Amino acid sequence: MSQPILSAQPDTPKTGAMGLAARAGAIMSEYPTLVLVGVLVILYLATGAIEPNYLSVNGVRNTLLQAAPLGILAGAQTILLLAGGIDLSLAMIATASAYVAANQSPNGAAIAILLGLVVGLLVGTANGVGVTVFRVNPLIMTLAMSGILLGLFTAWTQTILQGSTQVANFIRVVGGGSFFGNRIPYSVVVWAGIAIILIWLLKRSGWGRLLYAIGDNEVAVRLAGVRVWQVRISAYSVAGMLGAIGGLLLAGRNGLVDLQLANAFLLPSIAAVVIGGTSIFGGVGGYTGTILGALILSVLNSMLTFLNVGQAIQQVVYGTIVLALAWGYASLTRRT
Amino acid sequence: MTTLALTRRSASWRRALTRNGWALGVWLLLIILLVWYATLIPAFGQFQMTSISKNSLPLIYLGIGQAIIVIAGGIDLSLGSLLLLGNVIAARFMEDQPLGVVLLIAIALVVGLGLLNALTGYVISISGVPDIVVTLAASFIWSGLALWILPSPGGGTAPEIRWLFTGATSGIGGTFIMPILMMAIPAIAVAIFSRRTHIGLSMYAIGSNGVAAHLAGLNIRQAKIASYAIGGAMAALAGLATVAITGTGDPRFSVGANATLNSVAAVVLGGVALTGGSGSVLGVVAAGIILIMLNPILTAMGIDPNSAQVIQGVLIAGVMMIGGLATLLRERAS
Repeated sequence: MSQPILSAQPDTPKTGAMGLAARAGAIMSEYPTLVLVGVLVILYLATGAIEPNYLSVNGVRNTLLQAAPLGILAGAQTILLLAGGIDLSLAMIATASAYVAANQSPNGAAIAILLGLVVGLLVGTANGVGVTVFRVNPLIMTLAMSGILLGLFTAWTQTILQGSTQVANFIRVVGGGSFFGNRIPYSVVVWAGIAIILIWLLKRSGWGRLLYAIGDNEVAVRLAGVRVWQVRISAYSVAGMLGAIGGLLLAGRNGLVDLQLANAFLLPSIAAVVIGGTSIFGGVGGYTGTILGALILSVLNSMLTFLNVGQAIQQVVYGTIVLALAWGYASLTRRT
Repeated sequence: MTTLALTRRSASWRRALTRNGWALGVWLLLIILLVWYATLIPAFGQFQMTSISKNSLPLIYLGIGQAIIVIAGGIDLSLGSLLLLGNVIAARFMEDQPLGVVLLIAIALVVGLGLLNALTGYVISISGVPDIVVTLAASFIWSGLALWILPSPGGGTAPEIRWLFTGATSGIGGTFIMPILMMAIPAIAVAIFSRRTHIGLSMYAIGSNGVAAHLAGLNIRQAKIASYAIGGAMAALAGLATVAITGTGDPRFSVGANATLNSVAAVVLGGVALTGGSGSVLGVVAAGIILIMLNPILTAMGIDPNSAQVIQGVLIAGVMMIGGLATLLRERAS
């Protein structure tokens, strides 16, 4: 009987400080996006401290130019991870679409973009069919697809795609140009449009809710009468299209297309989703977090470039921070 | 009594067959491919056997390591980067050293990378962050370290190490006895360890159902960390084998990433389910050799390397599709 009194007494003087910390913890675990915004702001200011020029319209624009393709590719991974899938061929889809667009650029930008998107749609759908109809593990299916695409395009760059390295002017403007007095990149407008559609789809549409449901419990969704395979395949198709858009923007930004175009974006596209709080096991998360994840990784990249420490240290720091962010996020959200 | 014993024995045989059916199938496929390859080229002999067996060593080691981790319910995307780390440390420090130092470095590498990956396993088990995320981050860290140790491809190795993995002190020619031995000893050791020891069986248990294994009183964390430690040690062997075959160190990130992805492919082709808790390390060995053999076979058939890569992808996807269809049909039947 005396135990409650004993434990209550030492607590009383600390209540103020403890309560504040506990409340801060509660708020942070309730709204993890706030923490992500905080991390983004801190990283941004730290980068500004290293390179004062970074805290300018120019600096922000350069980071956004990098973040837009990453954010779009990460959008594809978000959809798939939510439904319990993943796409390791995304970088090769982006590269393949960019090649086809470059090849068709003499016929006009519209046809080039359209055919680029068709490539993404076809490859994505093929991934989806392999994963859902033939029950191949998504890691293996998309890995094999990545190898197939790499082989095909390595061969084709020496034959039918030879010399197709330049994309149409329009794609170059959208991928790398800016408007409003050279302040706002066009690619960010594309990204914003995609972001609005994706967030609406995931939050408000039946298709989006089904993605969450499938990621959470596929069997239950099937028993509820949903044709799970249709939703799954369409998720891979949409992811393929998003991969194609990302590839086109990258091709436009770089001006040139090569086989390594999107390679460096594959692992960050997954990392951005994970940092943004989407569970790798499916069913939990959303695109808002992914956007912040993509921005954080892009600012981090700028920071490491400014630090000029060499690629080796860059990789070590990059990996450490990704791990720290994922760890912090996991321990924050586990409280609830 | 005798009938009872007989039926029990045949039942256990049948169980062993169904349990290892996929692995046996992969070995059968390997033998068929070998025979076919032997008829494809004019002279099949020592040279081809040596080249296939030594070139498949890095993938086999990485596959064995990945298999143990996958069996214990994880997946390790950092194994390829650990291979890079082992490769560059060996290439940087082993050249022109006396035999004792070389052996010391080799042992230190196997133990050190084992401990390093055990640390990864420890972080996974205390943080609650999924394996794939932690090892993805670790892959950047290890490959960064590799790049720091050896900024550009180069370095050398000791003839003793070359002899150990390739059977020739120059790395060229030699007999296939050494590569086969170096392939068989770790594979059999890990296979026996995983099926016959307490920790090994715990790995199968936690991979099959972590909660149930915990409730049954198994030490989940210990088994998980042990599986990652074995994976790290195997990656060190893969790095040593790479330096023995190529004679140099290569710190490029893409080399490690490809090695990781191939190890996952070998694991799945070898009959280890990515969901964990099933499969055998020995099937992965055959799958690794098959993946390496496809290249010379397709070259012998007059197919250029780019198409060979396409065919390899189609084959991997195709084999897995057949496997998927088989499970689907079995589910329908029951």
